[in-house]
Amino acid sequence: MMRTARKTAGLATAFGALAVVLAACGGGVNSASSSSEAAASAPAASAAASAAASAAGSAAASPAASAAAAVPCGDWGVAMNNWVGYTASAEVLTQVAKQKLGCNITQTKLDEANVSYDAMEAGSVDLIIEDWGGGRWKDWVDRGAIQEVGSDGNIGLIGMYVPKWMAEKYPDITDGTNLNKYADLFKTAESGDKGAWYEGPPGYTTIGQKIIDAYGLNFKAINVGSEQALIDLMEKGQKDQKAALAYFWEPHYYLANDTVARVNFPANDWSDAKKASGKTDYPKTDLMKLATTKLMESGSPFAALVKNWQWTNADQNSVALDIQNGATPTEAAQKWIDANPDKVAAWLQGTGAA
Amino acid sequence: MSSVESFLRRRWVLLVILFAVWALLAYLFKGHDTLELSTMENTPVTQWLNDAIDSIRANRSTSPVFLYVFNPIRVVVENFIQLIRAVISLPQGANVIPMVGWLGSLAIVGYIVYATSTLRTSLLSMGLLLACGMLGMWMFTLDTLAMTLGAVVLSLLIGLPLGIWAGINDRVMAFMRPLLDLAQILPTLVYLAPLVLAFLIGIAAATIATMIYSIPICIRITAHAIRNLRAGPLEAAESMGSTKWQILRKVQLPMARRTIILGVNQTTMAALSFVVIAALIGAPGLGSPVVDALMIRNVGKGVTAGLAVVLLAVMLDRATTAAVIRTENIDDSSTARRRRRIGLAVGGALTIVAVILSRYVLWAAVFPQSLDFGKGIAAFADTVIGWITETFDFFTEGFNEWFTVTMLNPLESLLTQTPWWITIIMISLLAVIIGGRGAAAISVVLLGLVVVIGLWNDTMVTLAQVLMATAVTMIIGVILGVMAGRSERVERILKPILDAGQTLPAFVYLVPVLALFGPTRFAAIVCGVFYAAPVVVRIVADGVRGVPTEMVEAATSAGSTPTQVITKVQLPASKRSLLLGANQGLIFVLAVIVIGAYVGAGGLGYLVIAGLSKPDLQGKGLAAGLAIVLLGVVMDRIAHASANRSGPGGH
Repeated sequence: MMRTARKTAGLATAFGALAVVLAACGGGVNSASSSSEAAASAPAASAAASAAASAAGSAAASPAASAAAAVPCGDWGVAMNNWVGYTASAEVLTQVAKQKLGCNITQTKLDEANVSYDAMEAGSVDLIIEDWGGGRWKDWVDRGAIQEVGSDGNIGLIGMYVPKWMAEKYPDITDGTNLNKYADLFKTAESGDKGAWYEGPPGYTTIGQKIIDAYGLNFKAINVGSEQALIDLMEKGQKDQKAALAYFWEPHYYLANDTVARVNFPANDWSDAKKASGKTDYPKTDLMKLATTKLMESGSPFAALVKNWQWTNADQNSVALDIQNGATPTEAAQKWIDANPDKVAAWLQGTGAA
Repeated sequence: MSSVESFLRRRWVLLVILFAVWALLAYLFKGHDTLELSTMENTPVTQWLNDAIDSIRANRSTSPVFLYVFNPIRVVVENFIQLIRAVISLPQGANVIPMVGWLGSLAIVGYIVYATSTLRTSLLSMGLLLACGMLGMWMFTLDTLAMTLGAVVLSLLIGLPLGIWAGINDRVMAFMRPLLDLAQILPTLVYLAPLVLAFLIGIAAATIATMIYSIPICIRITAHAIRNLRAGPLEAAESMGSTKWQILRKVQLPMARRTIILGVNQTTMAALSFVVIAALIGAPGLGSPVVDALMIRNVGKGVTAGLAVVLLAVMLDRATTAAVIRTENIDDSSTARRRRRIGLAVGGALTIVAVILSRYVLWAAVFPQSLDFGKGIAAFADTVIGWITETFDFFTEGFNEWFTVTMLNPLESLLTQTPWWITIIMISLLAVIIGGRGAAAISVVLLGLVVVIGLWNDTMVTLAQVLMATAVTMIIGVILGVMAGRSERVERILKPILDAGQTLPAFVYLVPVLALFGPTRFAAIVCGVFYAAPVVVRIVADGVRGVPTEMVEAATSAGSTPTQVITKVQLPASKRSLLLGANQGLIFVLAVIVIGAYVGAGGLGYLVIAGLSKPDLQGKGLAAGLAIVLLGVVMDRIAHASANRSGPGGH
C-alpha cells in the first residue's frame, strides 16, 4: 500500500512540476506585450495585449507602443498613503509613467510618515507623492536615502470644521477659543458629558488633543477610523441640522462643496506636529514630493517625471471626486489624463517621451 | 449538594458586598488618581521606548543584529513569497499576467486538491475559486492564496518538527507549554509593531506575523497527536528492540498521521484568518480592499472582498478536511487504484493543457471581464446596507445610543474615573472571591505593571468594552448554547452558522458593522460579540449535553417545568463549561475589541494602531501592546482559576 501510494504521489508531483515548468518557459500572452518591437511587428498580438492590459486593470502594464522612451524606465515603487486625494495624485502619476514612459510601477499601501520613510530607506518604495509633515523626514534625509523633490503643487491645510448651518446660526463659533461656549451642543453618547471632537484616522497628522489641552476645552477627542466616517458626520450634520466638529483637510473634494465652515485658531507658528504647542492652528503647507536618492540619481525618465510633476488642488479634487463617485482610481486618472494633455506634456519634458 | 449550595450563596453575598463597596468608593473618590493621559503625551516608560525605537531605526543598516539576523530573514521570506506570487498572482516586469494565467492556476489548484483528496472536493474548490474571480477579486484572491500557502509551508517547516519533538520529549513540552498558552491569549494586533520594527512593513513582516499566529496551533496539535497514541503498538515496537528513531518513523508518525493532517488544516485556517490583519502591515491580497473599505468609502468593495475571504476559507477548509478523511479510507482494491491512477493522468494532462492555454490564449490568461460581477455585487451590497441603515435607524442609532448611555458609559466611568488603587484592590478582591489567592496575586502584580507603564486609563477604557461585550456574548451564548444542548434539531440548524462564524476573520464583519453603527464603541462591541459567540455557544452546548440524563429525567418526573430543569439542573451542573465559555469569550472579545480601534473604539487598540504610523507614539504603541497582553493574562488567570475551582463538573 505504501508503495502504490508513493507511486501515485510521484505521478501527481511529476504532472504538477511539468505544469509549472511549462509555465516558466515560452512567451505566450506576456511576450506579445513585453517589448515595443513585438507590438509593432505583430499588430494582432498588440491588439490582444492591450485588450488584456485594460482587462487586467491597474495590475497590468500597457504596452509601450506609443512611448518609445530613449532610456528604459525600470521598476519603481510608489507609496500609497490612505486618503482619496493622495490616491488621485499617485494614480495619475502612475498611469502617466506606465503609459508614456513604459515604467513598471508597483503601488504599495503604507501609512504616511515614518512607515513610508522606513520603506523608502529599505528600498521597497521610491516615492511619496504628497507628504504633509513639514520636515519630519529630516532624520531619514540626513542618513542619505531620501531626498526632498520639491512641492507637488498642492497646498495643504488641515483644520477643524463644523457644518455650515452652525456657522450661520452661531457666527462666533468659527473662533476656536469660543468653543467651550458651545460644548453642550456637541455632546453625544460617545463623548459623555463633554463635546465630541472628531479627530482624523490613526495614520494622519493630528494635534487635536494638544489644542484641547492647551485651551482647556471641554471636549473629548474621538479618533474615528476613516476619512469616510468624517464625511458621513458632516453630511448628516448639514442635512439634519446636527452639531458636528470634525477634522478635515484641503485639498479635499468634500470641502469644495462649500457645506462646511472652518473653526479657526490663532495663526500657526509651527511646521513639525511634534513641536506644536496646541495654542495655534494647523499650518498651511506646501505638500512635498519625497523620493529615494536611488531613484533621483538613476537617470530614469521616471525621475524626470517626478521632478516635473505638479498640479493644483482643483485638479486633485476633480480626480478624487470621480473616485468617490465610484470610478476605479485607474478610470478616474485616465479621464483626467485624457482631458489634460497639456499638463501631461509639461510633465514629460526632458523624459525623452514623444 | 447542600454544602456546595450554601458555599455558593456565601460567595454571591460576598460579591454583592464587594460591588456595593466598589460603587460607594467610586462615588466618593470620583475623578481622583485616574491617571488619565492625553493621546499625544508620553510617560517616562513610553518615552524611553520611543528613544529606544529611534535608535534601533537609526542602526538598522549598521547593527549586526539587523545585518546578520533580521535582514537576511526578511530577504529570504520575502523572496520565497514573491516566488509563489510570481507563478500565480504577480505579473513580472511589463508582463500582463503572472507565469500562469487564471485558467492554469485554477487547474493547478484543482489538480492538487484532486491528488490529495477526491474529485468532488476538487470540483468544489475550483468552483469556489471561480466564484472569487466572479466577485471581481481574482488577483487579490490569488495573492492571498500565495501568502497563505507560503506562510503555511514555512509554519509547517518549523511547527511540525517542534511539535514532534514536544510530542516525544517531556522536557521540551514542559518548556513550550507556557509559550503555547501565552500564544493562545495573545491578541493578534500586538505583535504587529515589534515585527514591523524588526522587519519593516511589507510582505516579510506580514508573513512572519501570520506564522507566529499559526505555528503554535501546529505545534500543539502535532504534539497532541503523538502523545495520545495507543500504547500497545509502541510497547510492541519497544520490546522488539527498535530504536527511538525507528519507533518514531515506523510507528508513531504513521499512527498520528490523521491528527497531524488535521493540524495542517487548523494551521491553514489560522493563516487565512490572519490575512486581513496582515494587510495592516503590508500583506498583499484580499485584506487590502477590506482595510481600504474601512479607511475610504467603499463598503461594497469591502463586503465583496470579505465574501471572497469567506469563500476561500470554505475552500481551504474543505480541501484540507477532505485530505484528512482520505487518509482514513483509501480504497486499496486494484480497480480503485487503477481508476485513480488513470484519473491522475487525465487530470494532469488537462491541467497541463490549461496551463499552456492560459499562457497563449487571452481568455484563459486574464480573468474575463464578462465573468466579473464584482461591481454589480458591490453596488448591491452598498444599496442593502444603505437601506438597512435608513430603515432600521431606531436600532442602528437608537439601540446603539441606549446601550452606550445606560450600560457602557456607567461601566466605563466606574473603571476610568475611580482612583487606580481602588480599582486594583477591588479587582484583586474579586479575584480572591471567584478565583483564589493565586489569581489575585497575579492580578495585583500585572495591573501594577500597567500603572507603571502609564497606560492605566486607556487599559480601563478597553476593559470596559471587553466586559460589556463579554456579558452580551455570554447572554447570547448561554441562550443558544442551552437550546442547542437540549435539542438536536437546533444544534443541526446552528452548526453551519457556528462553523462559518469560527472560520470568518474578525475584520470581515468590521466593514458592514462600521457602515451600520458608525465609528462608535458599540460597533467594536458588536464585532467582539460576533467573533466570540460561536465559541461560547459550542462550549455551553457541550456542557449542557454532558449533564447526565438521569439528573434531567429525575427533575422532569418530579414535575419541574422546562425552565426549572434548565435553571435548577442543567445550568448549575454545567457551571464549569459556563466558566470556561466565559474565559474563552473574554479572550476572543479582547482580540477583536482592540481591532475595534479602527472603527473609533479608542483605548489601547487605538494607541497600537497609531503607534504604527506616528513617530512620537511608536513607544506608546508598543507599551499599549504590552498592556493588552497584561490585561489578557489577568482576565485569563481569574477566569481560569474560577473554572478550576468550580471543579470538574459537567464536562
